[in-house]
Amino acid sequence: MNTKGHKSIAFGELRRLLVGPEQTEIVQLKERLADPELLVKDVSEVLPEAIILRSSRDKKIAKALEPTIEEAIRASVKKDRRALADALFPVMAPAIRKVISSIILKMIQSLNQALEHSFSIQGLKWRLEALRTGKPFGEIVLLHTLIYQVEQVFLIHRNTGLVLQHVTARRVAAQDPDLVSSMLTAIQDFLQDSFGVERGEPLEALRIGDRSVLVEQGPQATLAGVIRGTPPADFQVILRETLDDIHLKQIGALESFDGDATPFEPIRSQLEDCLQSQHKQKKRKTSPLLFILLGAVVFLMGIWLFDFIRDYQRWAHYVERLRTEPGIVVTTIEKRSGKKYISGLRDPLASEPAKMLKEASLEPEKVIFNWEPYQSLYPKFQLTRIKGLLRTPETIRLKFQDGILHADGSASYQWIVEARRLVKSIPGITHFDEEKIIHIELRDMEIIRERIEKQFLLFRTNEAEIAPGQQNTIQDLVANTKRLCSLAQVLGKNARIEIVGHTDNTGSEETNMKLSRERAHNVLSILTSKGFKEENFTTVGVGPKEPLLEEATEINRESIRRVDFKVTLTDKPKEGVVRP
Amino acid sequence: MIKKKICMLGAFAVGKTSLVKRFVKGIFSDKYLSSVGVKIDKKKVIIEQQEVDLLLWDIHGEDEFQKVQRSYLRGSSGYFLVVDGARRATLNTAFTLQKRTEETIGKVPFVLIFNKWDLKDEWEIDDKTMDDLSKDGLMVVKTSAKSGQGVEEAFLTLTREILEA
Repeated sequence: MNTKGHKSIAFGELRRLLVGPEQTEIVQLKERLADPELLVKDVSEVLPEAIILRSSRDKKIAKALEPTIEEAIRASVKKDRRALADALFPVMAPAIRKVISSIILKMIQSLNQALEHSFSIQGLKWRLEALRTGKPFGEIVLLHTLIYQVEQVFLIHRNTGLVLQHVTARRVAAQDPDLVSSMLTAIQDFLQDSFGVERGEPLEALRIGDRSVLVEQGPQATLAGVIRGTPPADFQVILRETLDDIHLKQIGALESFDGDATPFEPIRSQLEDCLQSQHKQKKRKTSPLLFILLGAVVFLMGIWLFDFIRDYQRWAHYVERLRTEPGIVVTTIEKRSGKKYISGLRDPLASEPAKMLKEASLEPEKVIFNWEPYQSLYPKFQLTRIKGLLRTPETIRLKFQDGILHADGSASYQWIVEARRLVKSIPGITHFDEEKIIHIELRDMEIIRERIEKQFLLFRTNEAEIAPGQQNTIQDLVANTKRLCSLAQVLGKNARIEIVGHTDNTGSEETNMKLSRERAHNVLSILTSKGFKEENFTTVGVGPKEPLLEEATEINRESIRRVDFKVTLTDKPKEGVVRP
Repeated sequence: MIKKKICMLGAFAVGKTSLVKRFVKGIFSDKYLSSVGVKIDKKKVIIEQQEVDLLLWDIHGEDEFQKVQRSYLRGSSGYFLVVDGARRATLNTAFTLQKRTEETIGKVPFVLIFNKWDLKDEWEIDDKTMDDLSKDGLMVVKTSAKSGQGVEEAFLTLTREILEA
C-alpha cells in the first residue's frame, strides 16, 4: 500500500517532469480556443490572406459567398434604395448616357437611311435584291452602307516592336507611331503572358469605342490597322494578304533588321493601298428628303415666328392706341395662363375696347377687360353729355370751348328757354352763347305773313260780293290767319291785317272808291264770321289807284277787281317777356 | 534614322521612371506601369551625326511581388540596370536581373546606373565597390534624376556601345 502510493507519486512526478510544459501549453491553447473573442481576433488576422490564397486556387469562396452577397444587396435595397443607387451612380450614369446617345444617334441614322432607302432608286434596287435573295431588307442595307475608315496602318517588327513603316489617312491626327507600335507590342505580350496563351496564337483585334485595331501576325512582322467604325469582314483578309506579300518580298530585310527602317520605304505605297482601297466605300450622303423635311420644319417655324411677331406688333399697337384713346385710362396689363387681363377706367362714351380689338385683328376671347366707369373731362365727351342733357334738336349745332357753350342753328323758343335754365346746372359751363340761334316761330311767322300777303279774293264787275268758287282760298286764308295769330301770341307780338279793296278803272272814281270799301268790308265780315276778332283787322278801299294800270285789258281788269292783305306786326308791350 | 529598343531594369523604386521622365518624349501615363507593367517613352540621341531614336521600355520593378515579364525584354538592343545608391540590396537585384536578361535575350550591351547621386551622403555603396565593378569591364554611370546629372552621359554611353556592338 505504502509502496503503491509512493510509486503513484513518483509516476506523477515523472509525468510532470516529462510533459509538464506541453500540458500547460495544451491548457493555454484550450483556453484560447474556448475564448470566442480571441478566436475572432485570430481568424481576422489571416482571413484576407486565406481568401486570396483560396481564390487563386478555385472558385469555391465566390460560390460560397454568392447567396450571402445577393441577400446583402437585397437587404440593402430594401432598407435604403438610395445608398446602393448612390454607390452605383458613377458607374451607371455614364453607361446610361452612352446608351441613350447611341440610341439617338442610331435613330437619326436610321431615319436618314429609311428616308434615303425608301424613296431612292437605290433603295428600290435593294428591296428587289432582298426579295430575290430572301434576306431581310435591313441586312441588305447594312451590307451596302457599312461606313468605316482605315485611319492608320502599322508594319511592326515583331521581335523589337519597332515600326518598320506607318501610314495615316488624310486629316487623321496620329500619335507617335514608334510609341504606339511599341505599346501595342507590349500589350500583345502582356495579354499573351497574362492569359497563358500559346506563343504564336496572336492577338487579332482590339476594340475601343468606335475604333478597332485589327492585327495580323507574320513570322517577322506584324501588320496592324486602326479602323474607325465597323470594319468589313474582308479587311482582315486584305491585311493578311498584304503581310504575306511583304514577307515574301522583304524577308531578307526583315531578318536582318537592326533598327534601320530605310529598306522598308518602298512598301509605303502598299500600306497606303490598305487605306485607299477601303476609302471608295466611304459614301455618306444625306437624303434630300431629310433636307425637305428640315426645310418644312424651318418653313413652319418661320410661319409661326412671323405670326408671333405680327401678333406681338398688333398687340403693342393696340395697347398704344388704348392708352392714347380719350376716355380710357389703362392701369394694369397682365398675362396669365395664355390670356391677357386689362384693367382701368373707362368713360361710357369712349370707344369700345372690344371693338377696337377686332379692328386690330386680335382674338377677342384671349383678352379680358375690367373697366371702372368714370367721367372724362375730354371736351368731346363733355359736349356729347351736354347735348344729351339739353335734349338738343337736330337743327342745333353746339360747340364747347373755354367754358363757353356756343349754339348755332334753329330751335323753338321753348327749347331756348329750357336750355337757358338747364345750362346753369351743368358744371364747367360759364356762359351760354345763343346769339346765332334762329327762332323757329319767328321764321314761321314770316312765312305765314308772306303767304297771307300773296293771297287775294276776286270780284265781278260792279259787285261787292266775292265771286263764287273761291272757297279754298278762303279756307287757306282762315288757316293762315289762325296760325299767324297763335304765333304772334307765342312771340308776344301784335298782328294786324289790313284788308285792301280794289276796283278796275271803269266807272266813276266815287263809285269805285265806295265799291272798293264795300268789298274790303265784306271780306272782313267773312273773317269775323270765322271767329276772328274785328280788332285784328282794318279795312281800306283804294279804288283803281293801286296798282295803276296804264293799259287796261279785260284780263288784267279781272285780276285787279280784288281784295288783298297787308300784315303789320308790332311788339306787344307786355310784362315778363324779355325777348322776342 | 536608326531605332533601337532599350529596357530600363532595376529594383522597385530605384528611380527608373524619374530618370527618363525629364529627358524623353512620352505620351503614355505612369499608370501603365502598374497595369501593363511597362511604359514606353522615346528619346532621340545623336552620336557622330547619327540620329538614333531610343524606344525606352521602362519595365515595372523587380521585387518579391512582381517578376519582370521576360517577353518585354525581347528584341532589346541594350539595357540599363538601375541601382539605388542608397540601398545596397538593389545592386543584388540588378545582378539577378542582368543574369535573367542574359538568359532571355543573350549578351547585349548594358550600363549600370547608380542613381540618386543627389543623396550621396546616405549611400550604402562606396566608391571602391563601383571602381571594382568598372575594373571588371562593366560600364558604370552615376546619375541624379533630380538634378539631371549623368543622365545624358548614360544614354550616350549605352547608345555608343550598341552601335559598336
